[in-house]
Amino acid sequence: MRRYVLRRLAVGVLQALGITIAVFFVIRALPADPVSRIVGMNPTPESIAQARKALGLDMSLFQQLLSFLGFHGNGVFTGSLGTSWVSGSTILSEIAITLPTTIQLIVTSFIVALAVAIPIGMATARRPGGKLDKGVFGYGLFAGAQPEFWWGLIFIFVFYFKLGIAPAPLGMLDPELTAPDAVTNFVLIDSLIAGDFTAFKSALGHLVLPVLTLSFLLVGPLLKMTQQSMSRVLSSEFILYQQASGLEKKSIGRSTLRSALAPIITLTGILFGFMLSGAVLVESVFSLNGLGQYSVAAVLNLDFPAVQGVILVISVISLFVYLGLDLLLAKIDPRILVK
Amino acid sequence: MTPTEALLSTRNLTVKYPYGDVQNVVIDELNLDLYPGQIVGLLGESGSGKSSLALALMGLARHPGVVSGEVNFRGQDLLKMDDEELRQIRGNSIGLITQKPRQALDPLVNVGKQISRVYRAHSQASKEEGQIRAVELLRSVGINDAERRVDAYPHELSGGMAQRALISMALSVEPDLLIADEPTSGLDVTIQAQFLDRMWERARDANIAVLIVTQDLGIVANYCDRIVIMEDGKIIEDRTTVEFFADPQTDYGKKLILSSGADARASNADVAVITSPEILRVTNLRKTFEVDGGKRLQAVSNASFQIYKGRSLGLVGESGSGKTTVGRLILRLADPDSGEVWFKGERIDSISPKEFRKYRSKIQAVFQDPFDSLNPRWPIERVIREPLDLHTQLSKEEKLARVKELVSLVGLTDDILPLRPGSLSAGQQQRVSLARALATEPEFLILDEPTSALPPAARADMIRLLKSLQERLDLCFIFISHDLSTVRELCHDIAVMYLSEIVEMGTSEQVFSAPSHPYTRALLDSVLFHDPNNRRVDRKVKTELEGEIPSPVDLPNGCYLAARCPIAEQRCRDDHQELIQIGPSRSVRCWKSVEASQ
Repeated sequence: MRRYVLRRLAVGVLQALGITIAVFFVIRALPADPVSRIVGMNPTPESIAQARKALGLDMSLFQQLLSFLGFHGNGVFTGSLGTSWVSGSTILSEIAITLPTTIQLIVTSFIVALAVAIPIGMATARRPGGKLDKGVFGYGLFAGAQPEFWWGLIFIFVFYFKLGIAPAPLGMLDPELTAPDAVTNFVLIDSLIAGDFTAFKSALGHLVLPVLTLSFLLVGPLLKMTQQSMSRVLSSEFILYQQASGLEKKSIGRSTLRSALAPIITLTGILFGFMLSGAVLVESVFSLNGLGQYSVAAVLNLDFPAVQGVILVISVISLFVYLGLDLLLAKIDPRILVK
Repeated sequence: MTPTEALLSTRNLTVKYPYGDVQNVVIDELNLDLYPGQIVGLLGESGSGKSSLALALMGLARHPGVVSGEVNFRGQDLLKMDDEELRQIRGNSIGLITQKPRQALDPLVNVGKQISRVYRAHSQASKEEGQIRAVELLRSVGINDAERRVDAYPHELSGGMAQRALISMALSVEPDLLIADEPTSGLDVTIQAQFLDRMWERARDANIAVLIVTQDLGIVANYCDRIVIMEDGKIIEDRTTVEFFADPQTDYGKKLILSSGADARASNADVAVITSPEILRVTNLRKTFEVDGGKRLQAVSNASFQIYKGRSLGLVGESGSGKTTVGRLILRLADPDSGEVWFKGERIDSISPKEFRKYRSKIQAVFQDPFDSLNPRWPIERVIREPLDLHTQLSKEEKLARVKELVSLVGLTDDILPLRPGSLSAGQQQRVSLARALATEPEFLILDEPTSALPPAARADMIRLLKSLQERLDLCFIFISHDLSTVRELCHDIAVMYLSEIVEMGTSEQVFSAPSHPYTRALLDSVLFHDPNNRRVDRKVKTELEGEIPSPVDLPNGCYLAARCPIAEQRCRDDHQELIQIGPSRSVRCWKSVEASQ
């Protein structure tokens, strides 16, 4: 078990590094020059050369890679992802601010989405063709056909503009409040640590619409998967046999859910990895300064260190998420051997 | 038997499956009475609603079916009970054993916990008491090492062991009615006999009512008092077993009885001195496979035999005996660890696969699963033509003519040629496989359980076909099977295998009329004749085997059968047995049998 985890981590770290190195070369192969973005209009050849030197672009590609990895001073191996070419602050400090925003958004959305999708999926699998099932079908057609930012805009229109019950879609706190001291950079947690319940309530309020938007979309695939998985288990021999053996309903229900869980967990893992950078549209609509926004900005600004850093961080997080889910699956299903 | 008051009776029992707005009726207003102490056999073709009825008797239907009508159990209608009352009856007064024992167990929970759950659902027992009871129950159905086995998950059990676990669950609460849906379909014959004997005793002793769903006339003839035949969700015949066998009323019943006529007697005349040339010779063949943990599984050991032109060898044995591996070694689908295979005087086990190719047209095979061995995307014409394309230089017209000839040879008509395998019945698919195997006029065939995946009527047809081909084409083949009556019908010679070894060899007549090895005797004893006047339960069976087949990974030092053998002595457990000749073309691997023959 421990050996399995260690091996998976070792392989995962190599994978993450491999991806980062691949990205390192691929972005440098793009037909765009980051220097021209920095030196401004009508630069002199000297200022260009100076900028190139400052960014380290005068070195050979291989030397650039070595310095990125940390063979000349600080780099990946010494725990540094370099400094942004645009803002000048370290990539790590920027990710430390943007990542918690995204994680907070998507973790809450997943909790909400699973809490909605699993009970409804179970109920509709039990009564296919029932009212709830038809409703779910309608939702699937409706929600699946429209992009998420559109739903975000509709929710803002209805709940903020028309009904006035949601806060303005501008960031994570009311503008008149001061942010709590940054400890974890998760606003919800930081406000609790600071004992600032006004800020906590405001942060929670600002989360409602983005979470609604994101979970509105996540519920779709999760619900479908729960439904399919549940109806497969419900029509399986062993559930029938448990009924025939006169087991209590509650006990049968538990067996069913446990057996149906594996594909739902796998799908959650896949969607989570995707959402780390895929929540960008929702972040834009609600002006949340999250990782998705940050990575789009990094690409548009040709901020190579930021792009590399974001990709490395996302792949490491995905690595842990997948490992965690695999261990969870092995815990649920004794047929999955962890060797 | 004079039926007393019915234990369970259904009135207008109906099971429907909703598909959108359409209702698929599987059980159609059915009335059936079951009496205490009576064993009823429920027969019918697949899809006739047998299994649905078995479930509906407990007020159950496979998700998302709906049961309606009346199911009166001791005067109370199950379908009108609330969930809690119903729950108390299911698994308590009515026990169920299903067809697929392993699928009936929750794959995520260990067996002990599952048994304990059922026990605790009908008693006030604590978790610890449930666990203790689980161990007791497993031990009571003959599982060795029950303390350790309660922790096993279903995927770690063999089919037989899973079946026993289910049986222990169903019988743990001493039901008044036992419903068994093809309870032995996954079991080997000796284990099947063990189980059915026990169930029969149980029904007699405790006066419980039993309903067995089956397609096997042998089980019906030997164990059932009464027969119920279903078709399209209705009962079409309902009489005592003896009456049914004497005079079946329905078409299905007649067909069934007719198909059972096939296994009546052996008809292969014995040739004492064989003059025809040798086709295949196998000497000291041995094959092991590596399993987890570096151990080796012994699949075949010391197999030697010859087959002469125009003769056929039946290779019989239970699952895991190595019979299929012998066939695969001859076909070069696997390479032996040691030993030799000679085909018409040429050694074929050590030549390169490329050299072997020229023998492929001479040695052909038909496998167990007819559908799996046909390419589902090809029309039948192409399936049968394929070997002609590979091995002959015929023109297009000649090939088509040959394909048509083959199709009629196996009793099919030309109009199936454009169809795809999926639209044929299992019996037709197997005929197509046979036609393909015969395409290149092979000199030798390996038939690996070609009849065991077929329904009874198709099986009888297939056996008749093989028999007629044998006479017309002078075929020479190995017939691999666990079905002794079929082997007796088709084969001149027989080799009985047990746990990788041949334990007895001889002509069909010799082996069937005077089996020598204890294993052969047990195997023959467990054959269920299709004759209600010659029942196994009425015969006094002398050679019943105990317990289960040991694992081929950890084989015992002495005789492999010693642990199960009713006549084993210390010497059997100490000395490994050799195959010793005891007469012309007859040998046996048992010192006691050798001594008895002298």
